[in-house]
Amino acid sequence: MSKTMTVDILSSIKGAQPSESVNKLFDVIKNAHPTNNTLNNVNRNAVFVSDLREDVVVESSAIEKQLILENFPNKKNGFLVVAKVIEG
Amino acid sequence: MDSQIKKIHQQLVSKEITCTALVQEKLNLIKENKYNSVNSLLDTLALDLAAKVDVKIANGETIGLLEGIPFGIKDVYMVQGTYTTASSELLKNYKSPYTATAIQKLLDAGAIPLVKENCDSFGHGSSSENTIFGAVKNAINPELVAGGSSGGSAVNVAKEYTVFSIGGDTGGSIRQPAGYNAIYGFKPTYGRVSRFGLMAYASSTDCVGPLAKSIEDIRIVLNVISGKDPKDQTSINSNEISEDAITASEVKTIGYFKNFVENDAIDVQVKADFLAAIEKIKAKGITVKELDFFKSDILVSTYYTLAMAETASNLSRLDGTNYGNRIEAENLIETYAVTRSENFSEETKRRIVGGNQVLSQGFSDEIYLKGLALRDQISENFSKDFEEVDVILSPVTPSTPPKIGDSLKDPLAMYLSDAYTVGFSLGQLPTMTVPQGTPTGLQITAAKNNDELVLKFANFLKDTI
Repeated sequence: MSKTMTVDILSSIKGAQPSESVNKLFDVIKNAHPTNNTLNNVNRNAVFVSDLREDVVVESSAIEKQLILENFPNKKNGFLVVAKVIEG
Repeated sequence: MDSQIKKIHQQLVSKEITCTALVQEKLNLIKENKYNSVNSLLDTLALDLAAKVDVKIANGETIGLLEGIPFGIKDVYMVQGTYTTASSELLKNYKSPYTATAIQKLLDAGAIPLVKENCDSFGHGSSSENTIFGAVKNAINPELVAGGSSGGSAVNVAKEYTVFSIGGDTGGSIRQPAGYNAIYGFKPTYGRVSRFGLMAYASSTDCVGPLAKSIEDIRIVLNVISGKDPKDQTSINSNEISEDAITASEVKTIGYFKNFVENDAIDVQVKADFLAAIEKIKAKGITVKELDFFKSDILVSTYYTLAMAETASNLSRLDGTNYGNRIEAENLIETYAVTRSENFSEETKRRIVGGNQVLSQGFSDEIYLKGLALRDQISENFSKDFEEVDVILSPVTPSTPPKIGDSLKDPLAMYLSDAYTVGFSLGQLPTMTVPQGTPTGLQITAAKNNDELVLKFANFLKDTI
């Protein structure tokens, strides 16, 4: 199934349009000819499995929790209010 | 200039000045300044910390070298309880719940944060005009831009409002404003300094680094903020760089990219000054090699393709749900779209849209993946170069700073002005701007993890040019 999505939908930005200036940069890449065959060779910052940090839950401090609540955009009667979720 | 950190440390220890008086003096200068370099003042915190330093000194306790030294922070770093806006409308009331690792290390060393500094919104820009706090004015000529994105940090250091500042460099954002304001600015090897608590722009090239007025101050700060951090799995272990290690340079061969200077885009004066600097270095018995490199448009396009893709992903979290300036609309999807449309700057939207273009089906093969392949080639090119030369020397920018307002009219020209800085970001190489050689300075680059050699050669240049 193929479905075309426009950049404004992909970017979640109302009315967004591709930029001519940016497209000119992309044209340079389209016309470039990489000489090696290293496509997808992007492991330069790979982390070894043996080097992964412990997967532990760290409790946030009281001040951290308070600041997270302070940053919440909308509150009503002691509840944090989220945007209306799209109806089915 | 000699180390300001050491000078102030001595003044504090000998009780020539008090830390409170020093911090108050700097805060007064910052409050009065007309360069738009400031997003928010941390005056209460700074004066509180200064008083504690004064008590220690009065009690005869030993203080560390950075204890009581006032510094600035680009407004993209988390400092618990302070506003961290990224110079954006979306986060203009956002308070950091936690503190960035690099900043925490400085706080632990006793340095005193004075100010959150103006910059291009989310690091998106090369002029510090893309900000809700007003365009940052150049420290040398206020009609010109300060450079960016760490423009406020560069100006604060140049005007001595801060002793040093912590900037962020993704494609040149420390090095270019350092050059525009005639100070030192260092982008370390990628991973040397933890990115934890830095608002992500392009994660594969984002670097934390210092701006200061002397090489010694850069060294002192770099040593404190470096190190592996479990909170950033791309961070790496590194050795401390001693003062003695960078006093004598053993550099025998340097290189420069001939296509950087042999093109029509470079300003005549920048070119002439750069070549004159090369001659002075040759006169010291150092071999200079001309190197081949990728064309500027390939470098800039590769960098922006990858940076836009990464920023589209990184900034997707900014939707007004849990934090940020949410604008309510008829449903969740509309709320996202309106919030992001109204709160992101035109430049930020341009980059997010560009990133989503190259990541979308049908385009990723011919643009994004090709960009990654080009990046690999660029890195291979650097590896070969460093088999032949010890360091690479380059101009920082093709021209002098533009007038305020000009960059916003022509985004493509702004992107192309990053031609000399972005390649080293793609290579993740240590690179420093020194305020010498051309009107916007020189860049010194060494092989990955050879940050020490960059500082060594900078010391050599200080006495040579």
